[in-house]
Amino acid sequence: MQIDPRIKSRPLYDPVVIRSKAKKHLFIGAGAELDALYASLPQEQCIRVAGGADGLTEALRAELDKVFDTLPLASAVYVCGSEGFMWDIRNLALAAGLADEQVQMCKPSTKERRLFCTHCYEITEGVTHSPQVCSACGRLLLVRDHYSKLHGAYVGVQINAEDPADIPETEELV
Amino acid sequence: MSTDSIRVRVSGIEQVSPLIREFTLEAIDGEFLAFSPGSHVVVEMPAEPRPHRNAYSLLSDPRDSGCYRIAVRLQEQSRGGSVYMHESVKVGDELTITPPANLFAPNWNAGKHLLLAGGVGITPFMAYLPELKRRGADFELHYLYRGSSTGAYREQLKAELGEQCFLYDSEAGERCALGELLAEQPRGTHVYICGPEELIAGVREVTEELGWPASHVHFEAFAAPQPGNPFEVELSRSGRTVKVDGETTLLEALEDAEVDVPHLCRGGVCGQCVTRVLSGDIEHRDEFLSAAEREQGDCIMPCVSRASGKRLVIDL
Ligand code: FES
Repeated sequence: MQIDPRIKSRPLYDPVVIRSKAKKHLFIGAGAELDALYASLPQEQCIRVAGGADGLTEALRAELDKVFDTLPLASAVYVCGSEGFMWDIRNLALAAGLADEQVQMCKPSTKERRLFCTHCYEITEGVTHSPQVCSACGRLLLVRDHYSKLHGAYVGVQINAEDPADIPETEELV
Repeated sequence: MSTDSIRVRVSGIEQVSPLIREFTLEAIDGEFLAFSPGSHVVVEMPAEPRPHRNAYSLLSDPRDSGCYRIAVRLQEQSRGGSVYMHESVKVGDELTITPPANLFAPNWNAGKHLLLAGGVGITPFMAYLPELKRRGADFELHYLYRGSSTGAYREQLKAELGEQCFLYDSEAGERCALGELLAEQPRGTHVYICGPEELIAGVREVTEELGWPASHVHFEAFAAPQPGNPFEVELSRSGRTVKVDGETTLLEALEDAEVDVPHLCRGGVCGQCVTRVLSGDIEHRDEFLSAAEREQGDCIMPCVSRASGKRLVIDL
């Protein structure tokens, strides 16, 4: 099963650059790319929040809500971590009144994908192969390149709806 | 104009400032559609050698489909549309308009809406206000005008909006400190500017300098087509050549020659009229193409832009 090359919604990750006019710079997650950017700015303009290794936990969300609340209009957010985590942060930032262009993401730290099941609407984390069994409803899902920004996840569609015995070969995702 | 034009009758005319007249339009056949705040219509006025067609923001309450209202500032330097509206149009006259189109809609996700109006640029905001109030949105209106010529609706606005309305009469020496105003806005604010080019350019510059996200800065910048040098345009598909004189836009010259070009705003902002250029240099006067697209030099917006040389070859 081939992933459709015509689907263009898969996000691209450009190198992160400092928004030089921003008054506050918020760095979220741990990574060499962020370290270097963080070090290049005056300390008083920066806020650093660690975490992200376990995704957006309740504790981290609570902490970030407080931090976002202190940000001025002219802010910049830089985030690294897994792809799903970075998009969670982006959605949190948007809800806090920031614009898309104020949130910059590093290259995802792993190839693992978050998968959104279009049948039961549940999420399966850490997906590396297609097809993949949905962790909630057990359907066998084709992992598509189509990305839902809202869910921070790739879309999964049942692959053998017609014939449950028809199980295609598993492929590693890139 | 195409088949989706709407016949209207002028049912009221009111002088709302020394240079601005308000026109109330009623549909001749059936009813108007409700519209979204920030919408405009293109009004077609009969004139020789060709009709005037100007875009005007709708200023009535968007939910009121009983009538549409527009306001026209007299522009002595213009190509005649506003002079026609002021001097020739009488109550009871018929005109045609296009259905409303919106290139300046509010972003309803904004935490706060900062409206900046310059002169007759108040008009789209007249339609924003009832909707902002219905939604209980946080907003402020800052209105810059000249007391002796523009400044329409200001007493009414002040009375209705109170503390949310800030008036600046430049003739009374009242200045809006844009830098301060824009620096103190909370996260989540969107700013909307409608007014003269200098005001729009000023706000864009200040917001950029202050680190505002560009997607939170909205402006309505219709370019009234300006005259230029005459040139010729060759239509590659038919091999025909059309002459464009100095007072005529490329779009009008093509229409005169019965060449159909899709269009909407006729003011260089909507992007509908984009036409491929095969050769010749372009004088870009639109707000639509990006710097990179201009650089490329293979597209023109014929509603406002012209050839910078004597000849263009276009893909029509
Ligand atoms: S008609 Fe809108 S850009 Fe030309």
